[in-house]
Amino acid sequence: MQHQDNGIWVSVDDLNREASFLKSAEQEFLLDELAEAPAAWTPSRRDFLKLMGFSLGAATVAASCEIPMRKAIPHVIKPDAIVPGVANYYASSFVNGSDYCAILVKTREGRPIKIEGNTLSSVTAGGTSARAQALVLSLYDTRRLKYPGKIEDGEVKKLSWKALDEKIKGQLQLGGNIRIITHTIISPTAKKALGEFIAKYPGTRVVTYDPVSHAALLAANEACFGVRGIPTYKFDAADVIVSFGADFLGTWVSPIEHARGYASRRKIQSLGNPAMSRHYQVESYMSLTGSNADMRIQIRPSEMGAAICTLYNEIAQKTGAPAISAPALNEKAKAALKKAASDLLAARGKTLVVCGTNNVMEQIIVNKINDLLGNLNSTIDFSVLNNLHQGDERDMMRLIGEMNAGQVALAIVWGANPAYELPNAEQFKAAFAKVNTRISFSTILDETTLLCNYVAPTHHLLESWGDAEPKTGHYSLIQPTIAPLFDTRQAELSLLEWADSPNLNRQDEQPYYQYLKSHWADEMKAKQSKYATATAFWDMSLHDGVFEVPPAQRTVSFSPNVALNAAAVTQPGAGAVEIAFYETVNIGNGQYAHNPWLQEMPDPVTRTVWGNYLCIPVEWDGKKKMTGWMGLEDGDKVEVEVKGKKHLCTVVRVCGQAPGTVAIALGGGRESGGCGVGHGVNVNPWLPIEGGFIQYFAKEAKVSGKVGAEKNFACVQHHHTMGLSAKDAESGQTINADEQVLAYQGALTDRSIIFQAHVNELASLRQKMAEFHKHASHLNEQTLYPDRADYFGTGLKWAMFIDLNACIGCGACQVACVSENNVPVVGKNEVGRHHEMTWLRIDRYYYGDLENPRVVYQPMMCQHCDNAPCENVCPVNATNHSAEGINQMAYNRCIGTRYCANNCPYKVRRFNWLDYTTADTFPANEERLFRVEEGDIPFYADNLVRMVLNPDVTVRSRGVIEKCSFCIQRIQEGKLTAKRENRPLEDNDVRTACQTACPTGAIVFGNINNPQSAVSQAIKKQEELAYQVLEEINTRPGVRYSAKVYNA
Amino acid sequence: MSQPVAPVRHVLIEGNKSYHQISEDLCVPTERAPSREWIVAFSIASAFTALYVFAVVWTIWKGIGEWGANRTINWAWDITNFVWWIGIGHAGTLISAILLLFRQRWRTGVNRAAEAMTIFAVICAGQFPLIHMGRLWLAFFIFPFPNTRGPLWVNFNSPLLWDVFAISTYFSVSVLFWYTGLVPDLATVRDRAVGLRKKLYEIFSFGWTGSAKHWQRWESLSLILAGLSTPLVLSVHTIVSFDFATSVIPGWHTTIFPPYFVAGAIFSGFAMVQTLMVITRKVLNLQEYITINHIDSMNKVIVLTGTIVGVAYLTELFIAWYSGYIYEQFAFYNRVFGIYWWAYFGMMFCNVVSPQLFWSRRIRRSIWWTFFLSIVVNIGMWFERFVIIATTLARDYLPSSWSYYRPTWVEISIFSGTIGLFFFLFMIFTRVAPVVAIAEVKAILKVAGDQYVGPKARKGAHAPVTTEVTEKQQEKI
Repeated sequence: MQHQDNGIWVSVDDLNREASFLKSAEQEFLLDELAEAPAAWTPSRRDFLKLMGFSLGAATVAASCEIPMRKAIPHVIKPDAIVPGVANYYASSFVNGSDYCAILVKTREGRPIKIEGNTLSSVTAGGTSARAQALVLSLYDTRRLKYPGKIEDGEVKKLSWKALDEKIKGQLQLGGNIRIITHTIISPTAKKALGEFIAKYPGTRVVTYDPVSHAALLAANEACFGVRGIPTYKFDAADVIVSFGADFLGTWVSPIEHARGYASRRKIQSLGNPAMSRHYQVESYMSLTGSNADMRIQIRPSEMGAAICTLYNEIAQKTGAPAISAPALNEKAKAALKKAASDLLAARGKTLVVCGTNNVMEQIIVNKINDLLGNLNSTIDFSVLNNLHQGDERDMMRLIGEMNAGQVALAIVWGANPAYELPNAEQFKAAFAKVNTRISFSTILDETTLLCNYVAPTHHLLESWGDAEPKTGHYSLIQPTIAPLFDTRQAELSLLEWADSPNLNRQDEQPYYQYLKSHWADEMKAKQSKYATATAFWDMSLHDGVFEVPPAQRTVSFSPNVALNAAAVTQPGAGAVEIAFYETVNIGNGQYAHNPWLQEMPDPVTRTVWGNYLCIPVEWDGKKKMTGWMGLEDGDKVEVEVKGKKHLCTVVRVCGQAPGTVAIALGGGRESGGCGVGHGVNVNPWLPIEGGFIQYFAKEAKVSGKVGAEKNFACVQHHHTMGLSAKDAESGQTINADEQVLAYQGALTDRSIIFQAHVNELASLRQKMAEFHKHASHLNEQTLYPDRADYFGTGLKWAMFIDLNACIGCGACQVACVSENNVPVVGKNEVGRHHEMTWLRIDRYYYGDLENPRVVYQPMMCQHCDNAPCENVCPVNATNHSAEGINQMAYNRCIGTRYCANNCPYKVRRFNWLDYTTADTFPANEERLFRVEEGDIPFYADNLVRMVLNPDVTVRSRGVIEKCSFCIQRIQEGKLTAKRENRPLEDNDVRTACQTACPTGAIVFGNINNPQSAVSQAIKKQEELAYQVLEEINTRPGVRYSAKVYNA
Repeated sequence: MSQPVAPVRHVLIEGNKSYHQISEDLCVPTERAPSREWIVAFSIASAFTALYVFAVVWTIWKGIGEWGANRTINWAWDITNFVWWIGIGHAGTLISAILLLFRQRWRTGVNRAAEAMTIFAVICAGQFPLIHMGRLWLAFFIFPFPNTRGPLWVNFNSPLLWDVFAISTYFSVSVLFWYTGLVPDLATVRDRAVGLRKKLYEIFSFGWTGSAKHWQRWESLSLILAGLSTPLVLSVHTIVSFDFATSVIPGWHTTIFPPYFVAGAIFSGFAMVQTLMVITRKVLNLQEYITINHIDSMNKVIVLTGTIVGVAYLTELFIAWYSGYIYEQFAFYNRVFGIYWWAYFGMMFCNVVSPQLFWSRRIRRSIWWTFFLSIVVNIGMWFERFVIIATTLARDYLPSSWSYYRPTWVEISIFSGTIGLFFFLFMIFTRVAPVVAIAEVKAILKVAGDQYVGPKARKGAHAPVTTEVTEKQQEKI
């Protein structure tokens, strides 16, 4: 071979060394034609006319099409840290009253746009909550107060800070009692600032209450253990968990932390030894935690005391403790509690009994139960106290008395909103009016701020410096990620300013920063020995965001002086209907009502948005009908009367709501301050106060029949069941209830959507799934098309694994997805028409016993099918498949035929029905989403709100389809990072938004072609429990789920 | 004994017309001033057309979100109306092409109007694939044209693209066929007209002189177009049915759809022809051209296709049960007894039960019954498409996404607006062109001895010819 020396030949011409080829090969680019000098151009008449015509036409077109002008002004001097297109992450903390999460704030071009969890924190360990994820949006709330001022006629009359300070200092110097009303403050430095203020004005007292009270728990712990604090609950160490109405996964004490511990014992560790915890939940309504329970024990809210006493007696009987006289309890609950007791006793020292009621004696008895079970100092650790709930509403009640008596000269409201949150808000309002000077630090014009004289708006959290101590020895820093958007001033700084603090360097650009830093140098540095200098310690703490000190061991014992008094627990009520009030994961007690992302996040259980709805029980007619209580349907309006106050409430049917009870969430019916106004009803005035403690149920509620129907009842899920069973009235046999309702056997439970089984029946479940898989494979092999395994088998192939046993349904992933992918907010009316845009939804199905069902949550997003039904039906190729297994959307190519959405078996494709983002060609048709007042501009039309958009993700215009992209922008970024660093892609390079948000690690994502990747390992570990939804229709999804296992 | 009726075929045009009389009868509606009925009806049709324009502009301006479709039921009235109109557009071609090839000469009385109806129905149908798009202004993306977007081409796998080709082909061929037939008639109108009118018809009749060569070419072209259209009658609705049959959605993914859709299309098309003809023959006084025999024949086609459709419905249910495939079984169970049960039973009653009345000769030959049942059939066929589209989508694989659909005023306006548009176009047509093919009718006139009036003329010449046909002869026809 004569050309063997020639390493590569590109054509036969090359091989033959043809002259013409050699000539052309000399030029890398074939530019012969272009290389030739152009002939001299001699314009002809025709050329002239052509040019004329073109220029005239072009000029006409250009002149008539008005293109909106948006100015982009470059930096004159580029800030060091900001590289366009490169995100910066700053460690910070999400702190709002009783909520805490260690976070990383992602900023792009100086704007915070996304919250990630901080994995260095041992409290939240990288997990987040929906509330934390939505933090960035509240920064860009158009209704934030923009300057300090005097409040007159419901408006803020602008004052300069100097003028305001003078006025307020004048008032402060008049003397008299000063009261500062707050939610729990967990910031050591803020407490120091408060201390300085109190030192300057000795008549000052801080009155703290929490939006949802845990005061009885504090009081009980003080009585039993001499520690006024909430211990750390080790759910990961508990084999048996009994919760009396404590929504510990959603809202109670420290949900992110609990969720992680809880889920670690819910994941199937190995098929042979699942080591699953068993969870009993005693409650009347279906809470998020209850929906995850293995066994729910249904009681009426007023039976809670009886249930606690009953369990106590069962335990006491076996442990030799004296019995108490338990109030009457329904027989079913009694039997179930007996079983719970035997489980608890069998696992002594490794169990956990928690109680969410606000009754001191109930909490004391629960403490005693834990004591008898040996859980103290084992699963219940008082070494590390949880500081997130320090408030006591009794203090608030005292304050109302003081104010009424005219003993308070000046009141400062900091972070709290008593005019809305208190059950006796009307009394508060009347008393508050008697205070001479009323000052608010609020960032919005909320109900309480409206009653104030002055407002000194504080920074948003993302503009603030600060620190936090959510748990003993767990410190956490807050750093600003953007310069203050408005003329606001941090509340701590205002206090120090008014206190004429000598420790404040007013000349400094950021005086509170210096104050905080010196506090950390003085107080915190000594707690560690790793860093010798204060600067090094500060820099590292700020970098990490958290600073943790090993706690001193503290053991407690149950005080022998505490007597159990069954008479002091809640006594069963005689009312026909009882009502429970609960806190939701998204809205809280209204603190988050003005955040559109949280309002539009469906409630995990009821699946409703934008408001609070009256949950009513579902009844079974014994034959083939599930009816709402009193024949009510979803969306019907009823009149509810509690404590003589009436409200029209919209009804939603909830399986698992105890008969004879109804429930409604807190946080609706906000009257002022933002987009939450007008959604839902304010139920706070219905909350009874007993013994000074707010009770979250009422023994008597009058519910009228249907008085109307809500026009735009907004619920994202119409069908709720997946294999409910019930008793047939005639034969007494257990029958498949929801298929009776559909009158069709095999309609639901045989669908390959959810696989579930008891933990002891894993073997038969595996067999069932194996048979199904075999059947599906057989069906899928009947194809003419070649298998593309070779195509997808090399290189990268993205896949996801979702562990349904770890998913608690909290919704953090959903809000994270909205935040990451610029998913528009569409408003209640549009959601009611099923026009919601969420790329990721969490389907909630009831299964098990109809009267007391279990729940499975299934996060559902684009499954990235390798044989995608959507792809082949698009007439214009707008959706197609990447070689890495991703189903891609080319928005610019989409013409909106919606065939893909019809043909998607998973119904995850979302169409931009209207112009939700104001990205449309015609700006006149932007949907007014909130319809609060005339002249409101559309949600995304405001430049302030648009700052929250992720610049890496296209904002979709009206008329195109969109859907989950597996966070393609993150994949791209990860690939580029790996390429730049010249190394193979690793798992951590690419993590999707839902994955990082998840507090329980239920979502795993990665390259399935790499057998070492986390997703491959996770699927391998769950080999026989992992499945693809609707496998038999041969879509070949890239997302796999694990079967749901329960341990009843 | 009176004049014997020719055993070959009985007379198709009644009234013992002469050639001149035919020209008179058929050209006059285009020449005289419009009647008051026409004006009133035309005003109503125009009002609905205006409503249509308004609702469409509204949709384009505000977005598809003004419709009741949602994340689960992405198609509803839009595609229902599309398939319904396309179906209606099937009778014209069938009558013109297939019946021409089968030498069913009775077709000449109705073919012109049926073809016009086809074109107008396809115009109405063609609106929907366009206006249901989220971004109508980019509709040109669906055409495979060379572009500057790199190697970006349409997706030849997509049935929606096949639709584009099928419908545009069908429309072009139908227009050609219709216009070819019109040319000699337009020349007839031209010959009778004066002034500007004459000039216009001169242009539109392409200089037709009626020479033998013209006739010969015209005949050939008609035959060729008939040959081209015949497969189209079958293919268009087959391809429309592929929009559903090639999907993975249970209730759509069925192999029976192509024949089922074609039969349904002919069924609804003939029903619509009946509706129109019954009105037209009365209003334009054409009872002698569009005779009871025509109505009778078309009713026979209706009962045949209605029964085919009924068999298809039952086959679907059987196959769903027989398949043992739970999704399919549930889809059909839901179709019958689910949330839209009323639509299914409406469909069954209108499409399967009501046409059976046409087994009765008396009902078949009754104008009022025919008119009433033709409307019932069209309602039924609309229900059929609604049942297939909305009911199926409302309950597909994942129960979490199940939803319900209600139309908004915009969709109702668009639909009723297309009916207005259809009549608007048809009424203009009746004013500008002969609604019955003059030339073709003349070709089937019986010009035997009965027309002879010269010496030795038989007794009874020029007398009305009896149209009574014996049962035996009827069968031969």
